[in-house]
Amino acid sequence: MNSYYAINLLIYAGVDIIACLALNLQFGVAGIVNFSFIVFQAVGAYTAAVLSMPPDTAPDYSFQIYVGGLQLPFPIPWIGGAIAGGLLAVPVGFVVLRKLRSDYQAIALLVLSVIANTVITNARPFLNGAAGLALVPAPLADLFDPATYGYFYVGLTAICTALVALVAFRIVNSPYGRTLRAMREHEVAATAIGKNPVALKMTIFIVGGVIAGLSGGILTGYITFWAPSVWLYPETIILFAAVIVGGRGNNLGAVLGALLVPVGFEEVTRFIPSSIGPPGLIPALQWVAIGLLIIGFLWFRPEGVRPEPRRVFEGAPD
Amino acid sequence: MLVATDIHRHFEGMHAVDGVSIEVAPGKITGLIGPNGAGKSTFMAVIAGTLPTSSGTIVFDGKDITRLPAYRRARLGLVRTFQLPSEFARLTVLENLLVAAQHNRGDSLFGALMGKRYWIEDERKLVQQARALLKRFGMSAKESDYAGTMSGGQKRLIEIMRALMLQPRLLLLDEPMSGVHPKIVQEIQYYLQDLRHEGLTILMVEHELHMVERLCDTVVVMAQGKVIGSGTMSSLRKQQEIVDAYLVG
Repeated sequence: MNSYYAINLLIYAGVDIIACLALNLQFGVAGIVNFSFIVFQAVGAYTAAVLSMPPDTAPDYSFQIYVGGLQLPFPIPWIGGAIAGGLLAVPVGFVVLRKLRSDYQAIALLVLSVIANTVITNARPFLNGAAGLALVPAPLADLFDPATYGYFYVGLTAICTALVALVAFRIVNSPYGRTLRAMREHEVAATAIGKNPVALKMTIFIVGGVIAGLSGGILTGYITFWAPSVWLYPETIILFAAVIVGGRGNNLGAVLGALLVPVGFEEVTRFIPSSIGPPGLIPALQWVAIGLLIIGFLWFRPEGVRPEPRRVFEGAPD
Repeated sequence: MLVATDIHRHFEGMHAVDGVSIEVAPGKITGLIGPNGAGKSTFMAVIAGTLPTSSGTIVFDGKDITRLPAYRRARLGLVRTFQLPSEFARLTVLENLLVAAQHNRGDSLFGALMGKRYWIEDERKLVQQARALLKRFGMSAKESDYAGTMSGGQKRLIEIMRALMLQPRLLLLDEPMSGVHPKIVQEIQYYLQDLRHEGLTILMVEHELHMVERLCDTVVVMAQGKVIGSGTMSSLRKQQEIVDAYLVG
């Protein structure tokens, strides 16, 4: 394994872990089936990109059209990406989470994901349409030798992953996390004991949006590119598969799921000879495998590899 | 304590509750009886705020709560249980109680992010309070079991204990004995009597008339969405209209 490959793997793992921890908070803990999760990651990525890129009139950038181009220094673009993810969650949550039943929420969020991708693809003057944004500046790249920059980016990703994990663990293991789990189990009963389900859902939806936005910022800073083709709605399904396989409601399960599904599947299928079958067969098989994985786990082990832990309090009878 | 006046609840032209007015006296158990489809559970849901009223007013402790959402009524001390078991299945029995407590610094996003040291003292006190309730209701040994694995009767007890964790002022019980083993029915009866002696006000829907007679100070009879009588159980037995409508059946 060469170092470039390892760096690539570690950064993708970090981004996927961050995304899965956020989705676990929304779906695993609070029970919100956010089928538009990838949109929040995309908003973070676009925001971080246009905050760090120069105006589209700059010599090397004039082949694309986009808003913003503020050329702000790191870490403002990442913070901006996170804030944008949270801000998007406000109107989306306000429309979707207040009145709709949870199954209709899932459908509405899936539709939102499709609409958002279609609009960005076709509204070229906004974010350069289907071609997407290229030459996104990598954070602090001019301070490092290109040979060592990858290690720096791994460190940066690791710090963000650790911070997000700290937030996720604190939420899940707190009385607030317990309230979210109660709402997930029986929303009407939670209301009858004084919990405001709309406020609870909105809050965790925004927290998830912020974290998703941050993951988008990290990803676009590394790949220096962002386009509608990388945030199609099936990407959300991969993250759902990861959380379901890892163990809904368990942060460690979400981490494990992120390593097994988005990272693992990508990497394992890399070793299948590309000469097998027609072009496009391997990516297609990846999707088949992810679908089968979700069905298999929901059928045989719905609690996942690392189930949500049972909380036993100090001094409990044996 | 609770005055509901001319409460109506319509479902697309069907009058489930049709001009019901009742008063619930403090420190008493008021029973609500009637045949299936009389509108008792709908009325309870309207009082608790789970369903909005079509018209009418609800005053709780002198405050008009007609437009308040269910969660705000619960915070005022108007707490309900449900006709069907409504435990938080994948939370332990102890967690089912703890989640209902109102004053825990860790029960907000801010509190959670501040970390365990910020809320652990509140949590310890509430664990003690919850364990005292579990002991009183004979369920200490079950505290770490998932609530979803409990029997029907134990789930009823969990619901009552969960409601008590809120320190309610008026407890709305919707058929607390339904589907419960006779031994636990007796236990629930004793617990409710104890709670009344401690001054808790209860409004209870119940089908088992012997239980209603033993427990309730006042009984309200509903049929076809209306109140057709109220008083003590013995006085109601003397009213032919009520006997015909319900008590004979």
